[in-house]
Amino acid sequence: MARMKFLCDADRCIECNACVTACKNEHEVPWGINRRRVVTINDGKPGERSISMACMHCTDAPCAAVCPVNCFYTTADGVVLHSKDLCIGCGYCFYACPFGAPQYPKVGNFGSRGKMDKCTYCAGGPEADGSKEEYEKYGANRLAEGKLPLCAEMCSTKSLLAGDGEIIAQIYKERVTKRGYGSGAWGWKTAYRETIES
Amino acid sequence: MLIKRTQRERSEVASRGSVASALAGQAGGLDRRTFLRRSGLAGGGLAALSALPIGSVHKAEAAAAGPLASGAAIRKSVCTHCAVGCTVTAEVLNGVWIGQEPSWDSPINRGSHCAKGASVRELVHSERRLRYPMKLVNRQWTRVSWDTAVNEIGDKLLQVREKSGGDSVYWLGSAKMTNEASYLFRKFGAFWGTNNTDHQARICHSTTVTGVANTWGYGAMTNSFNDIRNSKTLVIMGGNPAEAHPVSLQHLLEGKELNRANFIVIDPRLTRTAAHATDYVRLRPGTDIPVLYGMMWHILKNGWEDKEFIRQRVYGFDDVRKEIEKWTPDEVERVSGVPGAQLERVAQMFATQKPATLIWCMGQTQHTVGTANVRASCIALLLTGNVGKPGTGANIFRGHDNVQGATDVGLDIVTLPFYYGLAEGAWKHWSRVWEVDYDYLVSRFDDKKLMETPGIPLTRWFDAAILPKADVAQKDNIKAVFVQGHASNSITRIPESLKGLQALELLVIADPHPTTWASLAVEAGRTDGVYILPVATQFECKGSRVASNRSLQWGEQIVKPVFECKDDLEVIYLMAKKYGFADKMFKNIKVENNLPEAEDVLREMNRGSWSTGYCGQSPERLKAHMKNQSKFDLVTMRAPKDDPEVGGDYYGLPWPCWGSPEVRHPGTPLLYNNNLAVMDGGGTFRPRFGIEREEKLPDGTTRKVSLLADGSYSKDSELKDGYPEFTLAVLKKLGWDKDLTEAEMATITKVNSANPDAVSWSLDLSGGIQRVALMHGCVPYGNGKARMNAFGLPDPIPVHREPIYTPRVELVSKYPTLPDAKQFRMPNIGFSVQKAAVERGIAKQFPLILSSGRLVEYEGGGEETRTNPWLAELQQDMFIEISTADAADRGIKDGGWVWVSGAENGSRARMKALVTERVGKGVAWMPFHFGGWLGGVDLRKNYPAGTDPIVLGESANTITSYGYDPATGMQEPKVTLCQIVAA
Amino acid sequence: MAFFGKYLRLVLGACAFLLVIAMSTPSGAQQVNPTASSVKEQQLLQELNRVQGRVSIPDQRSGVLEQPAGRDWREFRNVTLRWIGGIAILGTLAVLVIFYLSRGMVRLESGRSGRSIVRFTAFERFVHWMTATCFIILAISGLNITFGRPLLLPLIGFEAFSEWSQWAKYAHNYLSFPFTIGVVLIFLMWIAGNIPNKVDVDWLKRGGGLVGHDHPPAYRFNAGQKAIYWIVVIGGGAVAATGYELMFPFYLSGIEGMQLAEIVHSVVAVLFVAAMLGHIYIGTIGMEGAFEAMGSGTVDINWAKEHHRLWLEEENARTGANDARPQPAATAAE
Repeated sequence: MARMKFLCDADRCIECNACVTACKNEHEVPWGINRRRVVTINDGKPGERSISMACMHCTDAPCAAVCPVNCFYTTADGVVLHSKDLCIGCGYCFYACPFGAPQYPKVGNFGSRGKMDKCTYCAGGPEADGSKEEYEKYGANRLAEGKLPLCAEMCSTKSLLAGDGEIIAQIYKERVTKRGYGSGAWGWKTAYRETIES
Repeated sequence: MLIKRTQRERSEVASRGSVASALAGQAGGLDRRTFLRRSGLAGGGLAALSALPIGSVHKAEAAAAGPLASGAAIRKSVCTHCAVGCTVTAEVLNGVWIGQEPSWDSPINRGSHCAKGASVRELVHSERRLRYPMKLVNRQWTRVSWDTAVNEIGDKLLQVREKSGGDSVYWLGSAKMTNEASYLFRKFGAFWGTNNTDHQARICHSTTVTGVANTWGYGAMTNSFNDIRNSKTLVIMGGNPAEAHPVSLQHLLEGKELNRANFIVIDPRLTRTAAHATDYVRLRPGTDIPVLYGMMWHILKNGWEDKEFIRQRVYGFDDVRKEIEKWTPDEVERVSGVPGAQLERVAQMFATQKPATLIWCMGQTQHTVGTANVRASCIALLLTGNVGKPGTGANIFRGHDNVQGATDVGLDIVTLPFYYGLAEGAWKHWSRVWEVDYDYLVSRFDDKKLMETPGIPLTRWFDAAILPKADVAQKDNIKAVFVQGHASNSITRIPESLKGLQALELLVIADPHPTTWASLAVEAGRTDGVYILPVATQFECKGSRVASNRSLQWGEQIVKPVFECKDDLEVIYLMAKKYGFADKMFKNIKVENNLPEAEDVLREMNRGSWSTGYCGQSPERLKAHMKNQSKFDLVTMRAPKDDPEVGGDYYGLPWPCWGSPEVRHPGTPLLYNNNLAVMDGGGTFRPRFGIEREEKLPDGTTRKVSLLADGSYSKDSELKDGYPEFTLAVLKKLGWDKDLTEAEMATITKVNSANPDAVSWSLDLSGGIQRVALMHGCVPYGNGKARMNAFGLPDPIPVHREPIYTPRVELVSKYPTLPDAKQFRMPNIGFSVQKAAVERGIAKQFPLILSSGRLVEYEGGGEETRTNPWLAELQQDMFIEISTADAADRGIKDGGWVWVSGAENGSRARMKALVTERVGKGVAWMPFHFGGWLGGVDLRKNYPAGTDPIVLGESANTITSYGYDPATGMQEPKVTLCQIVAA
Repeated sequence: MAFFGKYLRLVLGACAFLLVIAMSTPSGAQQVNPTASSVKEQQLLQELNRVQGRVSIPDQRSGVLEQPAGRDWREFRNVTLRWIGGIAILGTLAVLVIFYLSRGMVRLESGRSGRSIVRFTAFERFVHWMTATCFIILAISGLNITFGRPLLLPLIGFEAFSEWSQWAKYAHNYLSFPFTIGVVLIFLMWIAGNIPNKVDVDWLKRGGGLVGHDHPPAYRFNAGQKAIYWIVVIGGGAVAATGYELMFPFYLSGIEGMQLAEIVHSVVAVLFVAAMLGHIYIGTIGMEGAFEAMGSGTVDINWAKEHHRLWLEEENARTGANDARPQPAATAAE
């Protein structure tokens, strides 16, 4: 089984936000919900780097571990998904997530965070693949169609890599060897407890 | 553990078809190459990966694919947000655009997009688009029918024309239109009888077009984004492609990585591009020429120049040398702030670690010295022999999807289509192509002299409306503006443009959005005389667009125009019909239900565009290219020679694509590359300015110097030296006239029956002269030298001139701007303004340099992109970047509100401060995409209900000030002065 | 606490990091190589234990790219808290059961006199029961968040458990308001009788009379009740404050603040629950005659004599009579 991961090559990322709008476009994500975002470290200074971040689909995902209602599940491809039918909007996954991935629609009154929403790795949710219900709750299911997440597919500089962890790690290693520098596979140690040596 | 319901139901995990059944390699899945591409692997690493065990992405069975996207048609068009030329792949179901897919096959974007490209679908189904025509009645926007609108607009314009002449109507077109629409818009201007037809190129790269064309023949990017992969040294000066052309960075960064190339950014801001540079040089805005000469000073001092290249292919080196020698490291540092050692390092890399390319954008062009800046860049390239080879060249990144095309097709004030100019010969050429009587065209103009005089640049439309009639060198002031696809907030001096809006008798806005024309017209106090016509987005139209690299791409119509929107072509046709010249204008173009057929328009262009080599790109060939995108090489952009449909072609048949389509010229991926045969895309510098020049010598005598190449020629050329452009006379001299067919000869004779020998390669409607030249391995336009000395321009040798508003007043006496003069029918009083500013101590009152530029999320005036929620969410506030030191001096906090005041008109604007080290001390920077606020006032109420963009903000151009390039009328939005205080 | 240590490290790291930046910023125009000087993730994590930058969207909290502290919080929530809660609650229950079995109900030794005295007014009782009801629901719904997944979910299944938890969450959020009001009223209403004094020392020394048949004297509230009072006021205040911080995310703090709030909230809450178990025990089956005080509001004179002799004397002195007719006005002033 493949183990799907994301890898953002910060030495390629130019903060163009294509990943962000591709995500919005593919899943019709509403205003205020940012399944993916680009963060710029050292903004405006030499050494500035931007990193595109969404749910990293962690190994032994903290969100899943702390969820009071156990609404998360990991697919055979290592994608961490959740059921919005089961989610109670408690916010615990947000406290546990190292990457700020969970998003909550504001549903008006205090305290009632809506059902959590997050990156699905374009793999939908528990509903039948490609069904209308799945699309409405979680967005498109590209994986079921044999496609990878659109954010990575549309990345302007091929900075954001998605795919089997071993393959994208290999691609990244190759790049670093070829060009002679690399600021690291951001988030990998935290998400997957591994780093890419180059 | 919770599992997917479908899994539970089937109780067998594998049967669902887990996404990546690694190592399984099932048939029917995507192949390995596709998987790697989808995984984001660059071409370069493929081979090395072959040893890896790799799974394939398994395509789910049809039943599992779900009902949502099944049955969707795939249509391809071109992204409208910059000139990189990314293919947009749309999924269309029941006439609705339901999704975007990566365009893997395009050699330009290879699946990628930026924020704008990845969200273009929203533009079409936007709820805030214009839905029906409207007119302003007593300050209220009122719905009218198309018929009413066209009739009322037409009657009014005819009335204006009657009273004030054809030149009193300003026809402002767009770089967003297809080639076909831009061409028709220009043709419409000719039939209406004016040269006042302009578009965005005026304010982005008009100086590039003029400066570069005056150097070596054509005003365009010489190489391509893909070709930059070959560069060993990249200098990006006055450009921020990471935000303005993000997908180009894919090629730039991969090239940088694979070649371990030097990636040098010279810019006042440490831009997002500079974040990836290997060297960053900060200069004072407006001192590009000193820095370029400073580099050249080191090059000459160290003998790094390419002497053989200069001898064979360059004219005027000695003249330039004198100017270069003035720019010692000390003087360069004094003027620009760049230290000599740093510049020497850059110069060394640029001149010796070749191939090197110089990339620029609006940082060089948008200046009063824009043309000279561009010329200095060209000179630097010529000096080091970095032109005409892979990995070299002037890589000029253009800003709109079809700004290169709209320029080429002559949607411009200085020329008819394809750079034929405005002289009688040009008009006669086009009257032959259009099959319309030359005298009829003359009769359409106020007089023949105006017919042959460049029009008014769009940067000055309001000056032309409000200056005394005597100052405007045409029959009357501008009385009406018809704008189809151009933002008003992209034009400098907004406070004064309001006076212009007030003075107009009629304003027509034809656009998918009301734009700031509408909101500012109401703010200017207009109560009527404004019409808004809803025009379709480019995704609802078909036609060709020219990317920055000169490749033509055919975009399909993705969906039909929504609501009451109309295709650009239809709007132009309706106008022509109203004025009674539609039959003449569309004589050879099929029109159905008022909609001219785009393919026919392109065919007409093919028949007349010999000068620029748009003659070979038939609609059929372009469509074949879009269909066969995957066959083109990533670096050379060439298809394999044995391909039945596109064999040997370069992607998009980058112009010049010589001869008729039947000649099957492959296009020219790199201009002036004499290492290739012409029929393989090779070329030479174009001798466009005569074949010899009389030079005055110091002793008072004169000598004649050849402007033709010296011992250099393109591969396989039968002429082994420089040669002039081909005419029938030249062919006869060479004895090649016998290669012409009888039919070709007949056409040539028809073109100029009085003197067929004078018929040239660019006027010969048969294409025979071009065909014969190509047969003999020659370039139709000749083989000349590039000009370091561009005699004929206001500054034939670029000289530094301080910006009109400069903080360095002590430099003005040594480096003043050019004297006041009359240009483009208008006075240019830059010198007086500069003098007054120095005398009045403006620089003390407004001590900060204000520059402007682009954000990745928005484009141009930004109304379209600020209406798109996916983009608008990412940039919700207008802001100004101010340095940490300047902010501390003023007590300004990051994110706090500030007032920015400008040097003219008491202009001021309210926005948020972004305190950053990105800009240096003494420099502030604004994005130019915002609009809808003016002087701290929100103008949302001025928009027709429901069509206001989501995000509004102050326009940078509220603060920008006077300053026009003498050669092109380019405005000066990159350097002015301002003051910032906390609000 | 480990958390504060982490904060200290954060601050020190930030200072060190700023220093590094300050030193690496080019002052003049030396060669600037942004490629070579790029920030490194591991370096930032080591220095600050988080990675933070700028985002263009207004939601500035999303500028935190990475904060691995969530891992520690997860460990707390899934392991530490369950141990603390389990020991506190089950331990208390065990103690109470053993106590009950060995001691039985504390009987009213002198029997009922038949005369009663007002101990709590209707308003006081209303406040008490409002707070108590809220507390019980809050406690159950709160415990559900921590213990529901391992204990209840396997019994009733995903859908039912989520449905129940959803309602429990609503209840927890909405009832926090009356609960908080109750705590505030309790604080104001009974503060006068709950200031510790010398009598309490004696009471405590004598074990409150829980063992044996001793009856240490007490005013209106004995030291045990005072302890409950202060547990309610301080514990209630703490859970309310931290609860609201969690309910209105990011108004008061960033994610670490919320993690800390959750830790405080949950630890205080389970201890609170344990303490309240004791309170409920003694007010019901633990002591004869005690429930009446909050039930009907009156207690038997003999009960008052045995448990709150000093209070009874005070009351008698104040009303100036020995008759034990209910005197609502007498206590209302308190």
